[in-house]
This record gives sequence, C-alpha cells and structure tokens, in this order.
Amino acid sequence: MITVNLEPDGEQIEMHNTRSVIAVLNTLKLRSTMVIVVRDGELLTADRMLKNGDTLMVRKVTSAG
Amino acid sequence: MKCIRCKKTACVALPSHHSGFCKDCFPLFFTKQVETAIRREKMFTHDERILVALSGGKDSLALMLELKLQGYDVTGLHIDLGIPKSSEKARKKVEDFCSLHDLNLRVFEMEKWGLPIPDIKQYVKRPVCSVCGKMKRHHFNRIAVEEGFDVLATGHNLDDEVARLFANTLRWDTAYLSDQGPVLPASDGFVRKVKPLFRLSEFETANYAFLKGIEIHSDPCPYASGASFTNHKEMWGELEYRSPGQKFQFYQSFLKKGKPAFANLEKEVGVELHPCEECGSPTSAGVCSVCRIRAAVQASKVEAGVA
Ligand SMILES: [Zn+2]
Ligand SMILES: [Zn+2]
Repeated sequence: MITVNLEPDGEQIEMHNTRSVIAVLNTLKLRSTMVIVVRDGELLTADRMLKNGDTLMVRKVTSAG
Repeated sequence: MKCIRCKKTACVALPSHHSGFCKDCFPLFFTKQVETAIRREKMFTHDERILVALSGGKDSLALMLELKLQGYDVTGLHIDLGIPKSSEKARKKVEDFCSLHDLNLRVFEMEKWGLPIPDIKQYVKRPVCSVCGKMKRHHFNRIAVEEGFDVLATGHNLDDEVARLFANTLRWDTAYLSDQGPVLPASDGFVRKVKPLFRLSEFETANYAFLKGIEIHSDPCPYASGASFTNHKEMWGELEYRSPGQKFQFYQSFLKKGKPAFANLEKEVGVELHPCEECGSPTSAGVCSVCRIRAAVQASKVEAGVA
C-alpha cells in the first residue's frame, strides 16, 4: 500500500497495487509538470518506482491568487 | 531518469528542456536561467541597489535568496496588509526566512498607514483584490523611489506572466499588452521594475524552493477567489504538458512580435503624468487613486461613527 498526502488540500489517500510515481499521478489525474512529489524528504521524478509502505507528499505547484 | 550533468539519479524532470537534474545540479540550472534573464534583458548590475517585493510566497523568497547568492545588493520589502491571522502568518514567514539567511528586510504596515485591507473590503465597493494590488504596487514604488533604490524586483514566474498575458489577450487590453514584460523601464516617478524569474515555470520555482528549504506551504489570501487566474494556469499547464516549451514560446513571441505592435498603437493615446498632490506619486489625475481610496475609507468610517 502507498499512502499519499495531497497538498495543499490536506487530503490523505491510500493506494494499492501502485508501483510508480506516474501511476500515482495518473490515478490522481495530476500532471507531472504541475506537482512536486516527495518521499522521505527527497524529490522524485515521475519514472521512479515505489515500494509497499511508501508515503508520498504530492503538492500542486499552482499558487492561487 | 539520470541527471543530464552528472548522471546521478535525477530529482526534477524538465520536458521543456529535454532534461532532468539531480538535487545538486538543479539549483545550477535555476541560477543559469536567472543569470540569463538578468543579462539578456539588462535588468540590473552588481552596482545597483535592488528592492525585492516579498509576499511570503515561494517565488518571492526564492528570488530574494537567489539574488543574494549571486552577490547582488538586495533589500526585501514586505507589506503587512493587516488581514487578521493571514497577514501575521505571511509576515512571520518572511521575517524568519530573512533572519535565517541574513537578508535585509523592511516591513511596511498598512494598518499604521491608516488603511488595513479589511477596511477596504468593508468600505470600498470595488473588488478588494484589484484595490489591494494597486495599494501594494503604490507602496513598493513609493518606497523604492523615496529610498533611492535603482530597481524593484518581483517574484513573478513564467506561469504568472503567461496567465496575465492570456487574460489581457482575452480582453485585447491594448494598454496592458503594450507594456507587459519582464522589464518596465523607469519613467516619470516610476522606478524600473523587473521579473528575474520570468524564464522559470512555477514548477521550477517550486522545486528550487523545496531544495533550498523554503517552506513552500503558503496560504492563499482569504479574500481571493482567484478562480479565473488559477483556471488559466491550469489550462496552460495542460497545454504545456502536451507540447513542452509552448508556454515560454507564447511569451517570447509576444515580447518579440506582439508587444511592439501594441506599443505603437498606444503611443497615440498615452496620458501625461504629474505628481499626486497628496503623496507625490505619479498620476494622471490631481490626487492619485490610492490617496482617493484612503480618503474615501476615512470618510465612510467617520460617517459610520467608527473614526
Ligand atoms: Zn547532477
Ligand atoms: Zn497619492
């Protein structure tokens, strides 16, 4: 299972059978050039593989206003 | 994906540059983009004094830090809008950041000046965002002029510029289309204004801010609906995703081909500016709109018996 903390919404989503960052983004309908993805304080590109138990922070970069 | 410079694992992928960078090389790419912007657009030199508008958002803080790291003489200016909770948070973020990196900062308080933004919301019947923006631009310029800064720098990025250009284009607003750009030269009473991050997307500044430890969580203004601007950004984000590089090209082509044409058109209808009778800022009227709004709010308060 992968846990995703979606920012700035503050939503938490759990995903099963998801093995890459791009798969997470596709599920969330987000574009890789419009979010930053962080695991354990490290930025990840969309092609990175994930393992069971990973927690991701996915943050939209578009600032409002 | 591997870093295009050092072949370590990349942490930022940039389709528009057909490249990716690791955490050590991405800041070098960022620095190069800012250097190129400053040099090609002749924004400023190392001998000039630069005032940086600091909102507390990731872009303005990233700009301030980057210019300092490049050895420029920078001073930050934060305007405390006086909005309960929200303004205190933004101000603290700016103050903490500047003290952490040993950056010069000064703060201007709208409340002490007699016009906190909540009063504008309460007493002025126009959209608060446009009045607030006008107030901020007024004070940034006034302080830059009064204190002898050579140039005012803001953290606008490529996405901000494209969203604004697009909005102006939808209205075919020739006045804005004639002078929008990364550099606005000084002219009677206005200091030179520059946007050194205009070559960088919001995605790129967000990555830089993260790598530099800038707390990127920024609360949107509680008064802002911000809807149309955010919609435009998202629409452009999708366009950019499908054809990387499109955003920068749209903006560059405007600067080359669109802007000069609109500037020619505007020449014929340009208005003459004089110093405002109250505050000395340039205006086409006797008293500038900022001073008029301030007086109107005061009058409404007296009428309402609160001042
Ligand atoms: Zn590298
Ligand atoms: Zn005035």
